[in-house]
Amino acid sequence: MIEIKGLSKHYRNNRAVDDITFTAEPGHVTGFLGPNGAGKSSTLRILLGLDAATSGQALIGGKRYRDLRHPLRTVGALLDGAGPVPERRAIDHLSWIAQSNRISRGRVREVLDLVGLGEAARRRVKKYSLGMKQRLGIAAALLGEPEVLILDEPVNGLDPDGIRWVRTFLRDYAAAGRTVLLSSHLMTEMAGTADAVVIINRGRVVSQGSLAEVTAGHATLETAFFALTGDRIGPRW
Amino acid sequence: MSAPAPTRKPRPVAAVRFGDILAAERIKIITLPAAWFAMAVASGAGTLLGIIAATDAVRIAGPGGPIPVARLGTLLLAPAYAFVSIAVFAAGSEYRGGQLRVSLAAAPDRNRLFAAKLTVSATLSLVASIPAVLPGYVLQHSAAVHAWERGAFVGFLALIAAYLLLSLIGHGFAVIAKSAITPLAVLFIAPFLISPALRSILPQVVRFLPHEAALSLLKLPVDPATALGPRAGLLVLAAWAAASVAAAWTVFVRAES
Repeated sequence: MIEIKGLSKHYRNNRAVDDITFTAEPGHVTGFLGPNGAGKSSTLRILLGLDAATSGQALIGGKRYRDLRHPLRTVGALLDGAGPVPERRAIDHLSWIAQSNRISRGRVREVLDLVGLGEAARRRVKKYSLGMKQRLGIAAALLGEPEVLILDEPVNGLDPDGIRWVRTFLRDYAAAGRTVLLSSHLMTEMAGTADAVVIINRGRVVSQGSLAEVTAGHATLETAFFALTGDRIGPRW
Repeated sequence: MSAPAPTRKPRPVAAVRFGDILAAERIKIITLPAAWFAMAVASGAGTLLGIIAATDAVRIAGPGGPIPVARLGTLLLAPAYAFVSIAVFAAGSEYRGGQLRVSLAAAPDRNRLFAAKLTVSATLSLVASIPAVLPGYVLQHSAAVHAWERGAFVGFLALIAAYLLLSLIGHGFAVIAKSAITPLAVLFIAPFLISPALRSILPQVVRFLPHEAALSLLKLPVDPATALGPRAGLLVLAAWAAASVAAAWTVFVRAES
């Protein structure tokens, strides 16, 4: 389970995250939504121990990420701006990650095949398309067969088949009693994948609950999102 | 993509050990193409210079007449800067493509991660320096080597020490600069542009710079009149390496927390 308790992250003149509290329960896909700059990435970075909170707590299974005995067997993460050195081969990238957490080499092959990169495993990452890089990131997140998955925009760059695969995979993953926290801008995709939703705007939680609760009174998750965040479609574009 | 895998219960495993992170860092370095390229350049250039120095086939024009290559310390030490790239790439590549975030997710303890990377970088630099240096050194000092002279052995060890300590300076610099490019540029430029420019006005200061200290250690100083002795050169170079690594460790732990 993921627990965010009164979490704040303040920079000099900016409250990136301002006293947010929510949980992501096992057995559910929890959607984490918000406009650009709402504080999603800051929250995820703090959750993964990549940044320090100004106050509050971000816990995974009751522990801070840095205190986990087997980080990658507990949490698998796909974060924006966290990837391999482009000159390295995909299989080598996954091999060092696996080695760092005592995960077998066999598992590296398994996840590469799982995400459809088995044939391209020995290719250098700089020759990968955006979708292939995304699949490699998902493979890295799945290496340790973790109890918790934290994915930031996992379908970014994927083709329709890949998007459907991720949706089905995450549903099955959560159905097995695991925790999935999914951050995405794609409302339709989120509505088809998430059981629960947390919406943040300007660093604060503006709505949270089951998908049905959050979308009550709105035609779709998208209209609920724009109503809750005060954002409007169109004029700025 | 294939169908979703059936979910399984996690297998019981022992806690992650420091040795696991060491092994991961080893994989990182040996799977970097740039590290192998740097090794090939250093070894090739060292061997070529060894042949030229041994045969005295080429002399460089100097103020007092042609100078044998065997006496041109800066030129003979040039392959070391290609070699230093291995350690610089090891540390600096963390900041390419956002790999550092992946590394920190895999090994959240900053001190542990830094220690592992430094240990592997230093160990591989030490091991790789032998094949990088040996052919050129044996060619250049073939008579002394065949006679098993003690001086030849000591000179070889001094060269290995210079390569290792310069590598540690480069490793630390790359962490501080969060890049592989900046430290390489500075390390290459300093001996060839900065030191010559400062030598005439600050000779007592220039001799304490890493490159000059390394040349003193190798008994190949540019200016023998102001040079340090070999032991003092070793100590100064070791002090630079220790300072670079200590500063990098502090920066790494503070910046990534």
